[in-house]
Amino acid sequence: MGIFWLFASLTFLGLIAYGFQIWAIRSYLSTPCDCGEGHALPRLFPPVSILKPLKGLDDNLYDNLISFCNQDYPEYEIIFSLQSHNDPAFKVARKIREKCPDRNITVIVEESNAGLNPKVNNLLPAYKASRYEYILISDSNVMVDEKYLREITSHIENPAAGHEIGLVSNMIKGVGSRSLGAVFENLHLNSFVMGSVCFLDKFLRMPCVVGKSMLMCKKDLEAIGGLKAVKNILAEDYVLGERMRKSGKKVVLSSYMVQNVNQYWGIKRFLNRHTRWGKLRWKLGGGKYIFELLGNPVFMSALPIVFWQCSKLTVTFAILTSLLKVAGDFYLGKKTGTELDNPFLYLLAPFKDLLIGIIWPVPIVSNTVVWRGNRYSIGKNSILSPYPETGFWSLRYRIMDAIKERFA
Amino acid sequence: MMLLCDFHIHTTYSDGSVELRRTIDLFGQAAFDVIAITDHVVNGDNSIGKFAQRFNLSVREDNFDEYMGHIRREAERAWDKYGMLVIPGVEISKNHLTSEKSAHLLLIDIKDFIPACWNYEKIFLEAREQDALIVACHPHYMSDGSRDTLFLWNNREKYAKYIDAWEVANRDDVFNVISLKKYPYVANSDFHKARHLYSWKTLLNCEKDTAAVKQCIKHNKGVAITLFRN
Repeated sequence: MGIFWLFASLTFLGLIAYGFQIWAIRSYLSTPCDCGEGHALPRLFPPVSILKPLKGLDDNLYDNLISFCNQDYPEYEIIFSLQSHNDPAFKVARKIREKCPDRNITVIVEESNAGLNPKVNNLLPAYKASRYEYILISDSNVMVDEKYLREITSHIENPAAGHEIGLVSNMIKGVGSRSLGAVFENLHLNSFVMGSVCFLDKFLRMPCVVGKSMLMCKKDLEAIGGLKAVKNILAEDYVLGERMRKSGKKVVLSSYMVQNVNQYWGIKRFLNRHTRWGKLRWKLGGGKYIFELLGNPVFMSALPIVFWQCSKLTVTFAILTSLLKVAGDFYLGKKTGTELDNPFLYLLAPFKDLLIGIIWPVPIVSNTVVWRGNRYSIGKNSILSPYPETGFWSLRYRIMDAIKERFA
Repeated sequence: MMLLCDFHIHTTYSDGSVELRRTIDLFGQAAFDVIAITDHVVNGDNSIGKFAQRFNLSVREDNFDEYMGHIRREAERAWDKYGMLVIPGVEISKNHLTSEKSAHLLLIDIKDFIPACWNYEKIFLEAREQDALIVACHPHYMSDGSRDTLFLWNNREKYAKYIDAWEVANRDDVFNVISLKKYPYVANSDFHKARHLYSWKTLLNCEKDTAAVKQCIKHNKGVAITLFRN
């Protein structure tokens, strides 16, 4: 019975933490978006260079990219940057440029091997080609509406804030689920990820920058070492935010939500991404990663069934916790405008949480990530190093690769 | 630049799992230039065909106009939004218990319904009459074995004269017999699920209009194939 009460208490704590996450999200949502209207002083609209690193076909890529061509903003340029002409995204980028001849769009194809982080490698040529003082780094799987640029720049140019602000990032909502993996991904983005980012920012004053949308001034970025300083770091976004904060600049989380479109994901891709992100958090946060398990009340409530007994009490407890979590996710979906097409799909949330709980220990026992086809070891602060292709420690991966190849 | 094309795509009008509109968007978002929607028209003269028709896994004569109308509307949208040419078509599917008797044919740019239970000559002549392009699909042994349709290949001496092109590659399979015979070729995905987007495709060096595309395939000059991967 002691085991049951232990996990019941932890579940209760997890539900309270989830409640705080919902509160944090609500409070951000209640902050009005500042798109330039209603200012006492006239607003400035500094020219912005949007840097778009492209690699492969993301879901909804064409619409994602074209949404940046439809910005209601006086002056900006878009730089699509790729590593190869053979990348299928090259054709999409070219088509977008043809479709929007009145926009200032550049497509750069340049192989860059400056570091181990492929996204930073892809960004470096775009950064070099950018013309304006403000740069906006934006992932290719992000879609926005026409007010986005006005809103995100309003933080930097807010007269009340002066020039204290060094980096503005956005909240992310997952949309577009058309497969089970995509449903899981979007449920997780819209509950755990969104909740954690808001919770850390609001209650712990810890900026948690997610690199899907980051606005910076070049001189501020250069002052912390520029993009080259994070070329070998996997969590380049988080580290940029941290360094910006340590340099005395403010890191702001805008209440404007960018849409991360995830449509046709498989379960494997969902698990891969969250194992990788878990490894990042373990390497960045160390012991704090343990608390993440407490933030998963569904998983906690299921543990007495495994470690004690499968009885009416334990099963009822797990089901009630799951229903509370489903209700919370459903509420957040309504609040954030990320409702799933079929409300019954929210019933899948507990299964997603169980999967997340099962992969939770993986980062503690493995420091290897496979990202965009490359295998790396990650060290403290998510510093990347190439995984050895030979030797004893790479043996298990070589065996796994051989098995996969054999049965492909 | 050559046109990126896929001429073998199924939707929920037959046994595909993605609806027509979403299928168009999937290909449009990936910057394809030309696609053909080719849902199954299954022969209703045996139990396999009757089963397919019973469970709406086939375009039928009674919903053919709706099917074509829907494709035309979506084709307009695809042209406006993506600059992508969408050509209506069907896959005549003569399914029998043995692969030796089974055959599948793409009729691209078809105008009127052609039943799959007609004999081959009648189907070919009617398709020619409608100025449709005739493509023999997955004509040889495939890696999964369950979808083999060998009739046209086994009877190629008789029927090759009617066929404008043969699939030299279908999804993950490549049929080297087509190149050995020097038949005109195309490569397609046989798209049924979103992940089938990544498969063999055709590249054409021609104008982006239906007549030029058909002509290019028939003459089989300026045709290449590519394995489209992410």
